[in-house]
Amino acid sequence: MAGITEQVLPSIDALMQEFYIITHNLANVSTAGYKRRCNAFSKSLEIQGSSLKTQSPGDIDLNAVFDFSQGSITQTGRAMDFALYGKGFFVIETPEGPLYTRNGMFRINPNGQIVNSEGRIVSGEGGPITIPTGVGPSQLSAASDGSISAGGTAIGKFRIVDFGGDEAKLVPAGANCYRMPEEDIAPITAEQVVVKQGYLESSNVKMVDELVDMMVVSRLYEANMKLVSAQRETSSSIVNLAMG
Amino acid sequence: MLRAFSTAATGMTGQQMMVDVIANNLANINTNGFKRSQVDFQDLLYDQIQQPGIEVSSGINAPGGLEIGSGVRVGSTVKVFTPGELQSTGRSLDIAITGEGFLQVNMPNGEIRYTRDGALQVNANGEVVTTTGYSIEPAITIPIDALSVDVGKDGGVNVTDSSGTLSVVGNIQLARFANPAGLSNDGDNLLAETEASGTPTTGTPGESGFGTIQSGFLEKSNVQMVTELVNLITAQRAYEVNSRAIRAGDDMLRTANSIVR
Repeated sequence: MAGITEQVLPSIDALMQEFYIITHNLANVSTAGYKRRCNAFSKSLEIQGSSLKTQSPGDIDLNAVFDFSQGSITQTGRAMDFALYGKGFFVIETPEGPLYTRNGMFRINPNGQIVNSEGRIVSGEGGPITIPTGVGPSQLSAASDGSISAGGTAIGKFRIVDFGGDEAKLVPAGANCYRMPEEDIAPITAEQVVVKQGYLESSNVKMVDELVDMMVVSRLYEANMKLVSAQRETSSSIVNLAMG
Repeated sequence: MLRAFSTAATGMTGQQMMVDVIANNLANINTNGFKRSQVDFQDLLYDQIQQPGIEVSSGINAPGGLEIGSGVRVGSTVKVFTPGELQSTGRSLDIAITGEGFLQVNMPNGEIRYTRDGALQVNANGEVVTTTGYSIEPAITIPIDALSVDVGKDGGVNVTDSSGTLSVVGNIQLARFANPAGLSNDGDNLLAETEASGTPTTGTPGESGFGTIQSGFLEKSNVQMVTELVNLITAQRAYEVNSRAIRAGDDMLRTANSIVR
């Protein structure tokens, strides 16, 4: 009799986790360069229901993977905003190793170097990109391949990398950055990417999709809970019957 | 479930801050030399429940891990230093800076502040001051007998006296920063130097990358009403959707509670 509860509990847990992931996506609906996490648990339950295929909860893939689809490109007009169109990441240098990001809202530090909003240096092909004194942000221009020129003189080129299909293995490090997983995946120079200055890539979270997923999850959760409460009633009526 | 509540709450707080920033941008739509701010959202840290790429069964690696994020925070607000629209006023002491640079303003405590609001005035002593009454640096005094004042593109202030002779009484100097977005706002259209902005370099307008002075014009704010309104709608909807997540979480908790009656 305890069987139903045992079967249902893992899926209740999984639905809860999926709900957390959805709320996290919704909280990041305005985060530039954010990539939504997808969790296929409720979908796998639905598929299971439609094909009537029996599957134990242990087989269901609970992996939250990223949806690296392109976010929409929004114009900001700010000279230090860079959007990536296509596959690729900016590289941020930290003492603990490189971080990868698609949020191109950069700044200039007092030394004239291009940094991200946390003040960490944005990596260029040949080290940090330094803007010569006497050149303001408005005189910077970025070509579509990421090379930067200040007042007509080339000063560097953004290092933009790709992971050739392995990007789902990246580990989110917060503050819009990803880091490399322990298992080795090698960054390669991104080729199919275009840099757009004065634009930002919006978050690729779609509010409606997330709301629909949220509804499905909460209904499935309810249904699972009904099973638990049904089981409780059955067992109590059996006990009542036995006790006379 | 409490986690979902706090995640959604971070989303609501973030959007609220976005609305605050938009409201300030909109309130300053007619402020001379005002630069709009933009919000940089950042996702919060993740709990790693399962490492990506672990071996699920022999030879098969999971394509991704299971990480649950905990919401969003406003990383920073960034001032957008795009030029504002120039408005012709015809008044010779209204100056607009086309290009890089700030006017330097002397504060009563001896510090220097920076502004792009060029609606200059002359006070009782003949000194050129900002609308708030602080004198500009370097100080320029207009002689009492001056009939007209002209400001050249290079910042030279020329006066014509009653006898019709033209003389230069001073030069407006501009200051610029490596990172103007790092300046802090002091209100009254004044900006202050910070560690992040770096130290200012001063120079003559029109030289070595400094902007030129346009006399008879004022630089309006660079706030675009339509853009701000669109952002406002987006922020409002995003706020709503996060509050809906709290409600959905609440419903789920209620279901769980109703099992035990």
